[in-house]
Amino acid sequence: MGSIRFDKIEKVFATPGGDVKVLEDINLEIGEKEFVAIVGPSGCGKTTCLRMVAGFEAPSSGVVSVSGRPITAPGPDRAVVFQQFALFPWKTVTQNIELGLRNKKVASGDRARLIEGALSLMNLESHRDAFPHQLSGGMQQRVAIARAYVLDPEVLLMDEPFGALDAQTRVVMQEELVRLARVNPRTVLFITHAVEEAVYLADRVAIMTRRPGRIKEVLDVRSVRQSEGWDRFQRIEDVMDLPSFVHLRTQIWKSLREEKGSQGV
Amino acid sequence: MRMSGRRAAIGAATLIAVAISWYVLTTVTGWISGGRFPSPAEFWQSLVQINGRGYAGAALVFHAIHSVKLVLLGFVVAILTGIPLGLWMGWSRRAEAFVNPIFLVIRPIPPLAWIPLAILWLGLGDAAKILVIWFSAFVPSVINAFAGVRNIDRPMIEAARMLGTPPWRFITEIMVPASLPMIFTGLRLSLQASWTTLVAAELVGALVGLGFVLNMAQQDIYPGMILVGMVAVGILGWATTWGLAQVERRALGWNVAARG
Amino acid sequence: MDRAPLSLMQTVLWGLLGAAAFIGLWGFLSLSGIVPRQFLPAPWEVVQRFVQLLTEPFAGATLPQHLASSFQRYASGVLLAAVIGVPLGLLMGWFRLLDDIVSPIFDGLRFIAPIAWVPFAALWFGTGVGGPIMIIFAGAFPPCLINAYRGAKFVEPRLIEAARMLGTGHLRMIVEILLPAAIPSIVAGLRVSAGLGWQSLVGAELIVAAAGVGFMMVQAQGSVQTPTVMAGMIAIGLVGMLIDILLQRGEASMRRRRGLAA
Repeated sequence: MGSIRFDKIEKVFATPGGDVKVLEDINLEIGEKEFVAIVGPSGCGKTTCLRMVAGFEAPSSGVVSVSGRPITAPGPDRAVVFQQFALFPWKTVTQNIELGLRNKKVASGDRARLIEGALSLMNLESHRDAFPHQLSGGMQQRVAIARAYVLDPEVLLMDEPFGALDAQTRVVMQEELVRLARVNPRTVLFITHAVEEAVYLADRVAIMTRRPGRIKEVLDVRSVRQSEGWDRFQRIEDVMDLPSFVHLRTQIWKSLREEKGSQGV
Repeated sequence: MRMSGRRAAIGAATLIAVAISWYVLTTVTGWISGGRFPSPAEFWQSLVQINGRGYAGAALVFHAIHSVKLVLLGFVVAILTGIPLGLWMGWSRRAEAFVNPIFLVIRPIPPLAWIPLAILWLGLGDAAKILVIWFSAFVPSVINAFAGVRNIDRPMIEAARMLGTPPWRFITEIMVPASLPMIFTGLRLSLQASWTTLVAAELVGALVGLGFVLNMAQQDIYPGMILVGMVAVGILGWATTWGLAQVERRALGWNVAARG
Repeated sequence: MDRAPLSLMQTVLWGLLGAAAFIGLWGFLSLSGIVPRQFLPAPWEVVQRFVQLLTEPFAGATLPQHLASSFQRYASGVLLAAVIGVPLGLLMGWFRLLDDIVSPIFDGLRFIAPIAWVPFAALWFGTGVGGPIMIIFAGAFPPCLINAYRGAKFVEPRLIEAARMLGTGHLRMIVEILLPAAIPSIVAGLRVSAGLGWQSLVGAELIVAAAGVGFMMVQAQGSVQTPTVMAGMIAIGLVGMLIDILLQRGEASMRRRRGLAA
């Protein structure tokens, strides 16, 4: 339940200038309740990988499957948190969170209970009747995360979710996510180009090459986190100071830098 | 901000200057003769007449109400037919492809060009006016409803799909609200077009209404009454536009972009 | 909701279906007599009449002659609107005092549909050429003014600051900084102007003209010559479309040259 599998995935996009191969021979398995981050240079296809699991794109060849089922369409079992939040501006926080539950035909009593839970989980109780435009970026993203969590999805897909937030809010959200992952763990596929973010949040980090994207290497962060006891620190800056953290981060940077190669910045 | 104190003061001063020039140029110096443009006194006299004894068959209020009724009728029917069509064309590519050629042919024909045909078909009564008003308000409604749907942010559509939203719920709770800002732009254009068409239609052939008043006044060489008619049209146009803006404010309270 | 666009073939197919349905319905209504032939001629009758009018005069001239006469008035009115509106808009965008003075007058007059000026136009110019030109001007003027105004007013402030730092005087500022920066807005405004002007022309000619396509249509309506009325409508639509296409091309090429998004 809740595993993701990329099996010999290739993706080609047809553009006015000709066919562009974005992904080449992607093979990756994400286990149940595992938090995997994908990092890579711009245009390497990491977002496309997420969109294929979400069901917004289909692979040109190969199979993407969740819990053994091939993906054909989007659905609440694979909840997505978008970079641009994608909240519905005419709906209140509660109504935004409620939509997915109504679509799943959850009974109204259960809905109310689940929404309460999600609101308290994401510290949104005092904003339940607010409209998105009345909330800061960080709060809007919390609503988006609540909207996803409330569906109890098999898989949580996060596409550079903190990319639109300012630096301080971003840090707060990263700490929030770590807290969530410990309290309410589930399978997560997390796309980012911020290396520290990936190392801080993930169990494993997959590094992609530049286009056409392939998985260059996959680093095991979890064992380092556990053996070095990162979780004993509450604050992100304390963890990021640790030599073991810095080492991993530098390793990933070096790997990515090779991908920049002759392209320059 | 536009309405600063200084700006308001200069604005008021300008309007007063215009009013004074009007008086001076017509009454005092007689540079603009009565046959060309009315003096303030002539304007006032005409206003009194049409309110009291009436002109062109009835009092101002009667003509005005008649015109407003036609505008609102044509406008409402146009948006009730146009918006659904536009939404449908936005939803379905097939519908878009099917309707487009017809639209392509009909759209360039100015609404006013339908007036002779409408009069031919329906005579000088209300029906012909409503037909042309309907047509003039219909086109912007369709176009803007269509554009509203097509301009919906992709992530929002994807979020709705991800949440497993079934088609009918998608239309009523996602597609229509998301298109509302553009739909309201279309409504503003439709209302403007409705007024223009109404006045034109009543100028060409009518038996009652503000355009008819304008027409009669022109034939009688009665500039004071022409001005009364124009001012009435302007005020009613402003009032209906204001009304629409209030509806828009209530409906689009969540739309930060518009308020900014 | 359909996400992907149709293929070219599908688009053409459905388009043809739509056109066929339209013409078919029209033909059916006409031929079957549900709508009297007098009021709804068959589609091909209208086309026939249109072709006829290209050489046969009606109401004093052939269709091309009427169109030429209409177009002359139209062009004069739009040109006048542009020549007055664009410079005035630029000046208003630059000189705050001018803006404060003119705006209230403009805002007050804006709600009066251009067509409402027809009675005064008739009074002042009779059925002469001045009447329609005045109405066309009334319709075409606002977009010229507003777009030039916005174009000048919303120029990137840094550009203005840089120019002032370089000691640029008023005239040069307007001509060499504001005008070029406002061109995209002005051109967009000209397109809208041209469209509104054409519509106003039609309205004006229905009432105050002694020549031109609108006049031709009114004459035909009076003698229940429906094919002629419809031929006139088609002619007006075609010319209007042509004008818009040309201006659209002009706008697109201007945008390309400036590296602006389409």
